[in-house]
Amino acid sequence: MRYFRLYLYFLRFAFSRAMEFRVDFFFRVLMDGVFYITQFFFFNIIYLHTPALGGWDDAQMKLFISSFIFVDAFYMTFFANNSWWFPISINRGDLDYYLTRPASSFFFLSFKEFAANSLLNLVLACSILIYHLSLYPSQLSEFKIFFYVLFLMNGAFLYYMTFLIFLLTVFWSQSPRGFSDVFYAAEKVFQRPDGIFQNYFRRFFITILPFSIMASFPLRFLLEDNILPVISQIVGASFFIYTVVFFLWKKGLRDYSSASS
Amino acid sequence: MRNWFYQVFMMELRKLLAYRADFWINFIGQTFFSLLIAYYLWESIFTSTGKAEINGFSIETMIFYYLLAPLIFRIQQGQGIGFISREIYDGSLNKYLLYPMNFFKYKLATYGANSFFYILQLLFIIFLYTLFFNTAHVYEFKILPLFFFLLSLIIGIFCFYFMFCLVEFMAFWFDNTWSLGVILRFATSFLGGALIPLSFFPSWSQTFISYTPFPYLIDLPMNILMLKIESQEMIFQMIISVVWTVFFATLALLLWRKGNLQYSGVGI
Repeated sequence: MRYFRLYLYFLRFAFSRAMEFRVDFFFRVLMDGVFYITQFFFFNIIYLHTPALGGWDDAQMKLFISSFIFVDAFYMTFFANNSWWFPISINRGDLDYYLTRPASSFFFLSFKEFAANSLLNLVLACSILIYHLSLYPSQLSEFKIFFYVLFLMNGAFLYYMTFLIFLLTVFWSQSPRGFSDVFYAAEKVFQRPDGIFQNYFRRFFITILPFSIMASFPLRFLLEDNILPVISQIVGASFFIYTVVFFLWKKGLRDYSSASS
Repeated sequence: MRNWFYQVFMMELRKLLAYRADFWINFIGQTFFSLLIAYYLWESIFTSTGKAEINGFSIETMIFYYLLAPLIFRIQQGQGIGFISREIYDGSLNKYLLYPMNFFKYKLATYGANSFFYILQLLFIIFLYTLFFNTAHVYEFKILPLFFFLLSLIIGIFCFYFMFCLVEFMAFWFDNTWSLGVILRFATSFLGGALIPLSFFPSWSQTFISYTPFPYLIDLPMNILMLKIESQEMIFQMIISVVWTVFFATLALLLWRKGNLQYSGVGI
């Protein structure tokens, strides 16, 4: 309850800050609009040359694109600004400030920055998702749609936590960016259907670096009949990543010496 | 003038190498994942169509394309988003107004150092590829195409630098221009051919894209290197890219002058 109240304060600060930069609202919508259009065009061009990709036809692919757009918008709104500041706070020693607060420093660093200016994009992404769900030729059960959306939200948080694994290296490397460049190259996996990956790499992307769990697997849950293996994979991979992040965070804090010390 | 330009250039290079382990891990990791994703995506497409070649690209040619295209895209980016706008926001642009040097040249030196470093990486990759993969049908080392490739790359760097300046100068008027930088990156990546070779686009869109500056940034250098373009067409496209560069340089200069009148120097 205390953390919930704290989060409401974060939201209030975020909205008042966003009101200062009104043009940014428009630019953000434009930016994500361009991103969404690019993704649809990209897969449209691919489907000019092939009837299916990773076992999914055109209608299923449109649902997949809508899914990862939703995950991206959710991440951009709730977590993105925090992940950008995360390594900087550690590198500059700003973490000291949060360590002295009477609340979890991880909570502060992960939830403090709510991107109110991305909220419109989340609405846009939701609309795209609802539109493509309504266009889907087969009947989809409401029960499944509900859990599918929950799994997508988990996908956004999982994306953030996976990013943290690359960023927490800042504790030891002292660089201001960690291995974010590697992450940005690897994260494209979540924008591709999991069916295109084979053998070891497929296993790798649903367990160790579970990018395929973020959007592909929730869609598999929605479309496939045999949902038990899909659910267990989502839960197992998420639990694994969350454990690794908390382990690294605790180890990092032990080795943290502050920038000025 | 040459002396300070060189000093600034070298200083930026030293900054780039400050975190060496990070630098190499990021470089190897980026290359590995870009290739891996491209390989599985295109292997899946080639398998489902049952064709050995699509639009003049085999799977090997495609791998070579995706080995270099993201790196060319990276080379064009220089220092990345915020290399001018940040200084407009925090007021540190003041120092450039007092320095006895040209702002554009100073920024070009720092931008060029970043690009130069990635060009070295690209040449290193081409060298390794030539050494270990004897696939003449994909890429054959020839001095003249390599020279024209580098020339088109350098023109591309100048062109993107001035386009980037235009977006960054918007910070004189708007509170936050980060999103505009990202839009420019999306546009360059998609319309330039970093996401997918332009020859895969429908023909109507290829005609449309040819009227924009984007294909001259990534697609043209790649076509030159992979010998997918006739000499006459290459010269013609390079002239167009020079014209685009002059156009954006002129616009950037105008915007810089207008922006200076707007600039208060106090930051936000």
